[in-house]
Amino acid sequence: MCRSHAAVRSVIGAMVEEWSRPAVIDMEAGIEHMSRATGQHVDMILVVIEPYFKSMETGARVAELAREMGIKHVYAIANKSRSREDENALQQFCQQRGLDLIGVVPEDDAVKTADRLGVAILDHDETSPAVRELARVVEQRLM
Amino acid sequence: MKIAVAGKGGSGKTTIAGTLARLLAREGQKGVLAIDADSNPNLALTLGLERERLDNLTRIPREVIERDAATNRWVLTRAVDEIVREHGVAAPDGVTLLLMGWVEHAGAG
Repeated sequence: MCRSHAAVRSVIGAMVEEWSRPAVIDMEAGIEHMSRATGQHVDMILVVIEPYFKSMETGARVAELAREMGIKHVYAIANKSRSREDENALQQFCQQRGLDLIGVVPEDDAVKTADRLGVAILDHDETSPAVRELARVVEQRLM
Repeated sequence: MKIAVAGKGGSGKTTIAGTLARLLAREGQKGVLAIDADSNPNLALTLGLERERLDNLTRIPREVIERDAATNRWVLTRAVDEIVREHGVAAPDGVTLLLMGWVEHAGAG
């Protein structure tokens, strides 16, 4: 692993450890980047999965790695779910793999529009279906 | 609560991370940090910082860590509160964004 990358991860780990208030860390994409320096200081990992097999499979591997690191709460959260069939497939996969699926965020045109405009979805449409599901997750599982 | 959000590129991981940070703050959590650990940083945008500001955001300088000679481990050179106060970026709903300042050079090793 490259030295400066190692340093970035170490500084994030050290800051997260010493910070006494909540933190949300947008991790590097990809399972190969999961690092103990960051992982050992978080209470919870949310693994974002999409409703297709490769994404769910990768997510299951990330979750497994997170458990091996000793992260206490390992959850899956689905994104871009387009239909009841998608939702069923996500739930079935997570059940089979012992993953706790804490939310299913629907595919949402408001998110795409916000992306196109370069604004936050919360500032574009805070009543959109994706935001409502994330708000439910926060209230019910993260507080 | 310290929450890591992981996932493949394109999965919407960053949108979820940024939105969750703001929703936690809206629920009354004080001092929520949003940390961009991705080498392709987009968290600022999904947190709702103005596009015009994106190129000029304060970043965490390299000097906040050093190798401890005795243990050979990376350690912070200053208190985290001080680092956040000086180098954090104020985002909507009272969230503070932390951006790593030297990620772009990482490829050079």
